[in-house]
Amino acid sequence: MSFFGFNNSGHNQAAPGFSQAHNPFAGLSHRDDEGEALEFDDTYDGLGDQLEETGDDLNDDTFGGDVAPTGHGSVGRDFDFFGQTSKVANVIEEEHMRFARQQPPSKVAQHTPAPAPQSYDYGYQQQQYARPVRTGYEQYKEEPPALDDLQVDLSLWGVAPKKQQQPAQAAAPSPAPARKILSVEEVEAQMRAQAKKSPQPPPQQAPGMAPPPGLQQQQYAQQQFFNNGYQYPNMQQPPQQVPPQHFAPLQPQVPRPQDTSREPAQPAHAQPVQILQRPQSKHAQVPSPVAPSPVNRQQPPAVQTPQGLQQPHPGQGVHPTQILQNPNRLSGEHGQPSPISQPSHVAAQTHPGHPAHQGHRQQQSFSQQQQAPLAPPQVAMLSKEEQDAYLAQEAKRAKRNHKIFVMSKDNGIMTPQDKNFITRIQLQQLVQATGNPSEFGTDQSLVEDFYYQVHSQIQGGHRQHPSQPLNNFAQTYLFQTGSRQGGMRRHNRGGDNHMQRMEQQVQRAVEAAKNKPKNKQLVIEGSLGKISFSNAKTPKPLLNIKRTESSGEVQRPGTGSRTQTAAGGLSRKEALRSIEAVYDTLMKLEDHERWRPPPPVSEVEQPDEVQKSIEWGEQTARLNAKLLEALKVGAPVGVYPVHPFITLLSFNKTIKVMQRVFRHLTHQQRLTVLTLIVYSLDSMDVVKGAQVNNTNDIRFNAAMKEKVELFMLNVMSTLFNFIGELDLDLVAQLLEIVSDRNVGAIAKSKIGASLLTMILSRAEIIKHAGGGNEHSWQKWNYQYTRFFDHLAPHLPYIFPGSPTSGEDVYVWQLLAAIGIGASPDQQQTLVLQVKDRVMDTVTLAKTLPVELSTQRLNNVNLFMHSIGLDVGLLA
Amino acid sequence: MLFFSFFKTLIDHEVTVELKNDIQIRGTLKSVDQYLNIKLENISVVQEIKYPHLSAVKNVFIRGSVVRYVHLPAAAVDVPLLEDATRREAANEARKRNEK
Repeated sequence: MSFFGFNNSGHNQAAPGFSQAHNPFAGLSHRDDEGEALEFDDTYDGLGDQLEETGDDLNDDTFGGDVAPTGHGSVGRDFDFFGQTSKVANVIEEEHMRFARQQPPSKVAQHTPAPAPQSYDYGYQQQQYARPVRTGYEQYKEEPPALDDLQVDLSLWGVAPKKQQQPAQAAAPSPAPARKILSVEEVEAQMRAQAKKSPQPPPQQAPGMAPPPGLQQQQYAQQQFFNNGYQYPNMQQPPQQVPPQHFAPLQPQVPRPQDTSREPAQPAHAQPVQILQRPQSKHAQVPSPVAPSPVNRQQPPAVQTPQGLQQPHPGQGVHPTQILQNPNRLSGEHGQPSPISQPSHVAAQTHPGHPAHQGHRQQQSFSQQQQAPLAPPQVAMLSKEEQDAYLAQEAKRAKRNHKIFVMSKDNGIMTPQDKNFITRIQLQQLVQATGNPSEFGTDQSLVEDFYYQVHSQIQGGHRQHPSQPLNNFAQTYLFQTGSRQGGMRRHNRGGDNHMQRMEQQVQRAVEAAKNKPKNKQLVIEGSLGKISFSNAKTPKPLLNIKRTESSGEVQRPGTGSRTQTAAGGLSRKEALRSIEAVYDTLMKLEDHERWRPPPPVSEVEQPDEVQKSIEWGEQTARLNAKLLEALKVGAPVGVYPVHPFITLLSFNKTIKVMQRVFRHLTHQQRLTVLTLIVYSLDSMDVVKGAQVNNTNDIRFNAAMKEKVELFMLNVMSTLFNFIGELDLDLVAQLLEIVSDRNVGAIAKSKIGASLLTMILSRAEIIKHAGGGNEHSWQKWNYQYTRFFDHLAPHLPYIFPGSPTSGEDVYVWQLLAAIGIGASPDQQQTLVLQVKDRVMDTVTLAKTLPVELSTQRLNNVNLFMHSIGLDVGLLA
Repeated sequence: MLFFSFFKTLIDHEVTVELKNDIQIRGTLKSVDQYLNIKLENISVVQEIKYPHLSAVKNVFIRGSVVRYVHLPAAAVDVPLLEDATRREAANEARKRNEK
């Protein structure tokens, strides 16, 4: 065989790893090839056929002589035990055979110096022998080789001094050498055996060749395969060393070394090898040589009966072999060294071997099972307890082997891929059964873990449960992000964008007006967009709290509510309770929103869906009504000094929630809210408590400042968006309402001024968009004039702080909004009213760094451009 | 579960845990469980001079029952959401009480 050919016969045997999945008989195939057609061919890859048998000679050089020699297949097949699922049974049988063969050779090797070279020879010899053996076992094509081996072994043994099988051995004497390289286990076994040997001087054995350690080892190996527990016996066996004798006696069974002589007649039975193993065990077991022999004899018959084949060699008792293994244990355990017994064992083993093979085949290779029954005879000698234990063990082992056998039928049916596939399916089912946390416990987890769930949604961090409902929540809170972030500490971020956007749009509107100042027909599409209330450049308005009016402190929720309580409005407690009701209802609404049923495609086909939809709508309406009630929007106007809703709006809580509330209101309800706010502007604390004073820097009230800012971001932006949807008639009505109030006071607050700007700019946008009819415009113009007349006197006083404060952007925006829609006369009035402020700012700008200066002038220009002027003209 | 839920969102943020024995430990919150046991990494003791024996400690597991305060990183707290979560918690508790 070539070096790289990896001939199965030679190589696999040596390396267990290679042969495992392979055809266990691959190695045998070679032998078979010579003389007979093998059925193995079907499973065999055919490589063996291609190999040159003669070429194997070099294998020794390449791989070391030990490996190749004895049985090509024998060594490696041990590992193949379960290799082929379909032939497992056969394999097991063969395994026995192989072991049997191996043992003899090993023994030979040890005993006889020749071994190494023998290996090759051995193989050939085996083949020769094989044929005779086959005759008996023709049925099992695979087996023949094994038989051959056995014979060879026998012959080898025969070579040994002993008498028994010698004839057969003689035929194949020299070659038999040990083929195996000793495995670690074998080595250990040998060592143990030796150790044990010393204690056990086998007188009887003496004649025969010392039981070759190799045999023991082999046996050992076998045992390991079949019976893990039985290793001991092998150990003990070595001392007996009578192996050759044993082989001979095989047939006669234990008692008769003499029988061995008979055995020669039975050369055909190569099986002895198997027996050998067992005999060893027996040796150990049997303390007294004499006694054992008889017993064994007696026992065998009973055992044999089961095995029809064995009968021909009645005395030899197939059972012994089987028994041997078990006995070995016992012996090992008991530590009873009986030289005499050993021979008997050997004999028994040998005999059993033959029958055993047959029986094995019949039984489908469960030698172990057979063994169990056989054991009893030997066991008989043991104490009852021991017997019981032994039997129990045997039964256990048999059971286990049977199980393995039964299962082994299906070995290899599934590929690893198949297994993976199944595993995946199972996992899937597991997940389904357990429930996907995200789907399964959405509601539950929301109840228990609301903050975390929503928070992680918003943060976008670990989105473990991206489910629709959660997203709804996340949206709810994300919506507020701007106001939230701008609200307190950092109103640069969320609010900034908003502001900048508005500012830009106001600027654009002003640009448009400036470009076509005199042309009233001019319509610039989308030019007048939004108005910025303030921005980063124009921080918060300074507060000027007047003692005469209710001061900021008074307006603080605490004191304010007390006043209101006295006046028949909401008490603070009632207000807070009401606000909580608002929140509660709002959350229910938001929760409810998640269950909004999909719009039914067809009312006819999906009555259920329609029903659901209707129910959902009803529930929504109920919640909405509850929300409005909690908001006190429906309270009669004018009954209370301060409308309850406005009272609620004096709480930061309410201010914060307005944006969310608005989303759940209908258009009409929003309009109501807006009207209420506009109507109550001058009584709102954010207006009343935040009046500006243009003479001195505003007195600083952090709480009010924050509140105004909060209001701007939450309420005003919401209102701004809403006003953007109103038509001219409604805007005119709003202006009318404002005009009825204290316009001066309103304009003196940032909130008020911003709201005015919104209303005016909305009208301007409608005008640019060509909206509104003639009647509406007349109405608007009337209202505008009225409003202007009310406001004009207050114009000089609506600026926050001195020009140096730099917080008057929103005022310029308001002026711009007024100026755009003003008639020439009104514009002139405007200019007159704010001329001082303009001049002061321009003057101031000259003293400021370029950036600040530009900023200030731009602010002024917002207004100047709206009336067709430019700061540049003043310079 | 509110606090548990809340603290979970602080994972990987730096917090200062004040124990009932007055030791203040600042570190990255790595884990928290339902008992509010806390695992901190890369810790440093605020008054290190006072507790030199802790200067070599890098990670700690703090039993929830010995925690007096946890100083939160304000930037990592979503106040409005927390407010609502609190309302929900209160509502849940109230419902449970009624059910009983």
